[in-house]
Amino acid sequence: MFFSFLLCLFFTSLAYGSDYRERLLLRPLPHGALLASFNFQSNASSTSFEQQNFRYFPRSLGQILQHTHTKELHLRFSLGRWDAEAWGARPWNGAREGGTGVELWAWVEAASDKEANARWLTLTNALSGLFCASLNFIDSTRTIRPVMTFEPEGSHPPNALGNLHLLHGNLPHEVVCTENLTPFLKLLPCKGKAGISSLFDGHKLFDASWQTMAIDVRPVCTGDGSECVLEMEQTVDMVLDIERSKRPRDNPIPRPAPIEDIRCDESKFYNSHDSCMPLAKSTEPAWSLQDVFGRQISGACPLSDANDAERVICVNAVPERTFEIRSGAAQRVAEQVAPDMRCTALPSGPEEGLDFDLLFSDQPLTPPVNLTRPRLHAFRSMTGHGQERGGIEAVLRNPLSQPVSLVYMESLPWFMKPYLHTLNVAVSGNGNRDFQALKETYYRPAVDRERGTHIELLLEIPASSTLTLSYDFDKAILRYTEYPPDANRGFDVAPAVIRLLPNAADIASTSADERQKGVYLRTTDLLLPLPTPDFSMPYNVIILTSTVMALGFGSIFNLLVRRFVAADEVEGATLRARIAGLKERFRSKLQSIWARHSGKGEKDQ
Amino acid sequence: MALETVEGEASPPPNIAEAVNIQKKPPPESPQNVWTRRMVILAFWAVALLLGMPVWWKTTEVYRASLPLSQMTDWAEGKNCKPVFPLRIAVKAPMLSSQEIETIIRITQHALDDLNDFSAHHLRLVPADPIIHRMSIQEIQEYGNKTSSQRNDSEDISLLLNLKPSFGSSTSSTQLQPYAATLDIYFPNNQVPLSTATSSPLANFIANELQALFSEEQASLSYLMASIPSVAQTSKSKALSSEMATKLSRRSTRSFKYAPTYHLTFSLFTAKARPSAWEIEAALEEYLSPLLASLSIISNFTIDSQVQLYATFSPSIRQPEFDHERQAWTVRKEDLGGFINAAEWPLSPSIGAGPTVNFILYVPDSAQSPLLIAENGGNSWLVPQWGGIQIMNLPFSADGSTRPTVLTNDDLRPAMHVFSNQLMSLLGLPDTPNSLPLKLSTLTRLHTTSLLSSASSTLGALARLTQSLTSIAIPDSVATSVTTTLYRLDAACTDMKEGRFASALENARVAEAEAEKAFFERSMVGQVYFPEEHKVAVYLPLLGPVAVPLVMAALKEIRLLVRGRRVQDG
Repeated sequence: MFFSFLLCLFFTSLAYGSDYRERLLLRPLPHGALLASFNFQSNASSTSFEQQNFRYFPRSLGQILQHTHTKELHLRFSLGRWDAEAWGARPWNGAREGGTGVELWAWVEAASDKEANARWLTLTNALSGLFCASLNFIDSTRTIRPVMTFEPEGSHPPNALGNLHLLHGNLPHEVVCTENLTPFLKLLPCKGKAGISSLFDGHKLFDASWQTMAIDVRPVCTGDGSECVLEMEQTVDMVLDIERSKRPRDNPIPRPAPIEDIRCDESKFYNSHDSCMPLAKSTEPAWSLQDVFGRQISGACPLSDANDAERVICVNAVPERTFEIRSGAAQRVAEQVAPDMRCTALPSGPEEGLDFDLLFSDQPLTPPVNLTRPRLHAFRSMTGHGQERGGIEAVLRNPLSQPVSLVYMESLPWFMKPYLHTLNVAVSGNGNRDFQALKETYYRPAVDRERGTHIELLLEIPASSTLTLSYDFDKAILRYTEYPPDANRGFDVAPAVIRLLPNAADIASTSADERQKGVYLRTTDLLLPLPTPDFSMPYNVIILTSTVMALGFGSIFNLLVRRFVAADEVEGATLRARIAGLKERFRSKLQSIWARHSGKGEKDQ
Repeated sequence: MALETVEGEASPPPNIAEAVNIQKKPPPESPQNVWTRRMVILAFWAVALLLGMPVWWKTTEVYRASLPLSQMTDWAEGKNCKPVFPLRIAVKAPMLSSQEIETIIRITQHALDDLNDFSAHHLRLVPADPIIHRMSIQEIQEYGNKTSSQRNDSEDISLLLNLKPSFGSSTSSTQLQPYAATLDIYFPNNQVPLSTATSSPLANFIANELQALFSEEQASLSYLMASIPSVAQTSKSKALSSEMATKLSRRSTRSFKYAPTYHLTFSLFTAKARPSAWEIEAALEEYLSPLLASLSIISNFTIDSQVQLYATFSPSIRQPEFDHERQAWTVRKEDLGGFINAAEWPLSPSIGAGPTVNFILYVPDSAQSPLLIAENGGNSWLVPQWGGIQIMNLPFSADGSTRPTVLTNDDLRPAMHVFSNQLMSLLGLPDTPNSLPLKLSTLTRLHTTSLLSSASSTLGALARLTQSLTSIAIPDSVATSVTTTLYRLDAACTDMKEGRFASALENARVAEAEAEKAFFERSMVGQVYFPEEHKVAVYLPLLGPVAVPLVMAALKEIRLLVRGRRVQDG
């Protein structure tokens, strides 16, 4: 809690004021992992946005938003799984991450639902082109209109709220890769050439254990609503494995360390020259930005606000973990802004363009930084067997000593047909036998090939107990053309989105901006195996049916047309004679060839 | 069968041994049986041909709406409309009597007709205010209430000749108003011709001036019409000097195709991080808005602007080299085509219909400043049908950080002038005459002609397509679009004949859009890719085995029938 308060202090200054700023937070995590959290924020005044005079705000995205009347946009590209047991609470309270693959939700201004759908379609198609992602596959079957899970982050004029439509779509199957990073970088004013964005390298970024790229566009107005800016936030969060990232680019295959470098547990009975039980490391590994990201930072992005530049890079580690700043000739020292937080600026002004690096030395193990505990653990898995039906089981565990209210949202593909009557919510833990955890249900059933199932549940979990949610579903049989090329892989089911509703204590301790962003959590996605047909089937069917029909036709026709006579009356004699003649000719020809061949043989002798 | 047996019996076996071996024949078939068999075969064939074929035909038929093919081809061949450009020139002479004006008009018209060698384009002089003379007071009031555009619809005056007597000089002189379609003519007072005269120096002077004024327009129109094969055959074109022809061909490759909306994108590209802002709103307002306001009678324009930092050259071109003579960095002329780093510079076209015209202001790095074109030392150029580029060399300073962060309105003035000139030439505005309204009206006529020809040729292509590909479907929407196109083409042609060029342009524009819509109809494109072989592959497994017994039975019966007939005849 304390840490999130700190983070909040640290980042609230991001919200208003200057037109462009960027931040990087580095937090060493247990087991040699490193959280790197990049944040870029650019603003455009609403008048210049209306007139299409773009400066920090990218023109390509701005025109798409204007064309589709999108007032607020959230786009996520994610990869991997956040290990909450080891890494603690999610960065940004989960408000800047998405489910595996691509997730998009937006508030679109439209007079009717139909118009909103048309604009949403244009939006997904345009973004698909901009980000080189298959966003255009977000069609009506993957689009839902959430009711409780999301709330607008921006300040929209109250009279316009009635015309805003929230649409949400996701593509769990999409593989996020470098081709999505390049357009993401192009949207930044410094384009990865200066500032912290110069650390982005596709090879390292997509090699991370967990990685999420987010784009959030929202209008931010002053208190009285007279002055508005359109704020665009680009966030990249990733957890890198330091050892893995340090592998050189030209020799990326992991190899075992030489035996001399390994310290063995000599108390083991099997310890000998060729068997060894490695001892747990007692030192922190040495690393630098160059090692981990493959590059150094090439100076500050000169656009960022001068009075903000002092805290561009922050390291969230215990003070005992020392590091050295290398930039140009001047010696820099990081400024201690909080007990566990040290910040520094990038070389700017006359030193602009100089390389900057942070060097963490090899040193005895330091106590890990005090990580915030997550407020909820969520796991979801598939149950059952066979190709006909299955089940979903989600386990939500509340580790805190106070109850938590949450919204659980699922957006299922149409070919997965849940039975709502099998929905079972059970709370384990002492004294919870009669606890009514399910407060509210929103359910919109699927229509084949038109829309997917949309479930939203309002749940409450008592202090330190576990809630198990389960339901059964049927697997639909798809049409021949509806299978993807790799049909036997299975179909991805989008992660469930969980929103933790604030309780009274939160409201007191968090800022308004953070409350607007909310606290989110996503489960992993699932792989649903469907019955897969043999794809040569249609041709077999055509041939078989045709053969049966031709057989039937042929026999009836022959019965009607042929003349039936006694066997010895058949005029086939002529036919038989003809065959005999043919046989005779064939034999004589063979004999002549044989004779010529043997004659030749005699000559040779 | 029965006859055959008789035939066999006609030649008796030569000996008894063979007689034992002789084939035992089936009993003769009764005519009743033969008849039944034939009827059965006939019935099968009848079902196949009379029921099967029509059902198959009906169910696999593609819908083809009927198109007026002959009319479409006529348009494509230029039979329906011969472009003519009757320009009406109003003559106003407040100091002269109407009698004198009419005399001047008569003689000048004569002289003009003699001078003109391009029959499609002719100038007709009319008195400036006969309409008002003839109207009643009420009508004059209504006329006054009409807006200028409405007035243009009814009587399109291309140019106003303002005859003004000058008392001082003895020779005539002219002055063209740069921002109005008015030509002031100052003539010595004694040159007013008598009513009986057949020629006069004043009339010749006016005729020559007018001819000179419209010579470039005539050349452009003639060049344009010569490039349209259908029109070139039917109309006599004006002979062009080779110099003029090169100029016109360069202009036609450089300029954009006509579109109702153009998107203008102004981009500031900086090699490093400074300057990172420009006062573009003010600059556009001051230097470009007036031009766009006058151009708005032809097309609409949307404007957007962006700032992009750290713009590097594309690796495919030679990097700039330092020229010691000029003390400047130079980029070679052949590399200008690759100057735009299309892979990295975000210059995607704007969303919405219509082409995007890009204007790029490039500020080189202070280490590479000033940057010039090696061959001519210039710093701006034009990319045909794409946009214009201008390199802005900021005042040299050794220390890069002292460069300004913001380009002010004053800094942008020269660049904006270059951009507006580039815009005019990208839109295909002619160089002469030196009057914007006249240039615009020339452009209107040019665009109308090219739109008419493009719509007509699209119609022709559509007609050929539907005739050559008989298996593609033609939905009703195509037929509707074709009808609209034909109607609009007709209207545009009539408008041109009557000198209403603004409404001719409007009609031609709609005609062109509808013709394109008809040609690129989506459902028609899809059908082309469904091959006949595919159908055969699906039908063959059924039709093959069924057809073989049917055909064989029919053949056998026909053979028997023919043989029987021959025997009967013999």
